[in-house]
Order: sequence, then C-alpha cells, then structure tokens
Amino acid sequence: MNFKGTLPTLILEALRHEPNHGYRIAQQIKERSQGVLDFKEGTLYPALHKLENEGLVKSHNSIENGRPRRYYRITESGRKALSKDRAHWREVSQAVTIILGEARQ
Amino acid sequence: MTRLDSWLDQATRRLSRDSAAQVRAEIKEHYESAREAATSRGATADDADQQAIAALGDARTANCQYRKVLLTAAEARILRQGNWEARAICSRVWLKRTLVALPLAALIAATVFFLMGSLETARILLIAGLGTSLLFAAPMLPVYTPSRSRIYRVVKGLAIVAMLTLVFGSDALKWSWLLISCLWPVFWVERTRASIRRKLQVADWPKQLYL
Repeated sequence: MNFKGTLPTLILEALRHEPNHGYRIAQQIKERSQGVLDFKEGTLYPALHKLENEGLVKSHNSIENGRPRRYYRITESGRKALSKDRAHWREVSQAVTIILGEARQ
Repeated sequence: MTRLDSWLDQATRRLSRDSAAQVRAEIKEHYESAREAATSRGATADDADQQAIAALGDARTANCQYRKVLLTAAEARILRQGNWEARAICSRVWLKRTLVALPLAALIAATVFFLMGSLETARILLIAGLGTSLLFAAPMLPVYTPSRSRIYRVVKGLAIVAMLTLVFGSDALKWSWLLISCLWPVFWVERTRASIRRKLQVADWPKQLYL
C-alpha cells in the first residue's frame, strides 16, 4: 500500500519506546501493520536523515553482535511532532471514514 | 561487481564523498541483516541476496531522495571553496582590517562628495561601498544565529537591488540581458546555500552559510 508522506511519522512511532537501527525500524513498521504497509527499504534512510536534519531524531554508532550499527533515538521535539502528527492523522482518517461511509450508503 | 555494488553505485550518484560513504555503510549494514534473515528462513545464498536487494527497491528513487537530504558533490565543493576563502581572509589581521576599512572609507567619501555637490562621484563611491561591504565586510559581522542570518540575507538582497538601481537607473530593463547573465551565478550559489542549510543541522553550519 502506498503511504507516501506518512513514513516519517511511522518512523517516529517505531522509535517512541526505544532506540533502534534502520533494519529493525523497517521490520517493526511492516510487522505492526501486518504486512499492509510494505515499503521499499532503500527509502527508509533518506527519511531518517531528514528527521535527523530537522532535529527530530538523533543517531549514534554502536556494536551489536560484533557488527557496527547506527542507532536512532527520538528527541523531545520528535515526541512533540509525533503527537501533533497523531492528532492530525486522527482528524484526516475520521474525515475520510465519514466520506467513504456516506458514499457506500 | 555484485548486485549490491551496482545498487550502491546508482544510489550514491552525484553525492559528496562523505555522503556516499555514509550511504554505503548504512545500506551494507541493512543488506547484511536482510540477507541473514532470509537465510534463517531457509533461502539459499543467491535467493537471500536477491530478496535483500529487492527489498531495498529502486536505486534511482533512493538516489533522488538521498540527494534531497545529504550533501551532493556540487554542494560539498561550494562549502570547501567558501571555507578556503574565509580562512584566507580571517587568518591575516591586516587583510581583515583593510577589507573592513575599504567599504567604510568608500561610504564616508560618498557622503563627503554628496555634500560637496559632486553627485556622480558620490554615486560611484556609494556603489563601490555597497559592493565591497557585501563582498568583504560581511564575513566579519556578528551573524551567527539563524534569525540574524535571515535578517542579513534580506538586507543583502536590498543592498544588491539598491546597487543595481544606482548603476543602471531607468536603463535596468535595457540592460536586463547583462544583469541576468551576471547575476545567475549569484542566484545559483544562493540556491545551493539554501539547499545546504536544509541539509545541515544549525550546529554544523560554517560561517558562510549564515551569510
């Protein structure tokens, strides 16, 4: 499913509880959406860099099982942006549900 | 050349050396994890490789998106050149003082000539004062916050318009071909700087990005 524009919000949500690396963020989004939100993983990193440039996430290098990993964590501004995005999404989805519900009747 | 190498070559096209190295490292890390996961699900080495590459998607699309958020080779070159110019000026105290004094002297002289009634000389000196202050004195100004930078850029724009008005006056339209051909490099550099500002965090901005 195409979910252009919502990837940054989904990344912030994936990082809400704990810092994570790119591969796990991608898998988490796919798993939590039960495979509905399937995206090309090469586009995940540009989105992560954009969030980092905007100060919404921060990254650091770490070693996991002997392999270097770049971990990302959400910042305080990132949490604020996430709650704003969540409220906005609720409004949009409610409006779309109403419209589509009307169309069916 | 492996599938991953050719994917990376496309995805890192026209990126700066540092940006390309960063992309290579993160994508390799991602690819290895994806390959391991596929192998643990029972895929053969070749299938795992194919699945990991397919999951990354189109390299050209990734390249387009990377170019929007990471420094390109052209942007890195502009940053390097600007840093060299700033270092060359700031490392020599006498040069720094001369470059600050030059526009100031031109502006004072313009005022004196204006008061003496020599309007044409005053006009030329005012143009020279505005031009040299934009070129030389600006790096010495205390512009080191994004809000000051925005104010400075507005003032710079107004100074350029004032300078052009003083030079061409009502003939500006007639000379527009010359204006456009002379000013496009300025616009191009400004546009590139704006793009670099979006890509770098404020803490990493060199002095030239504030101007």
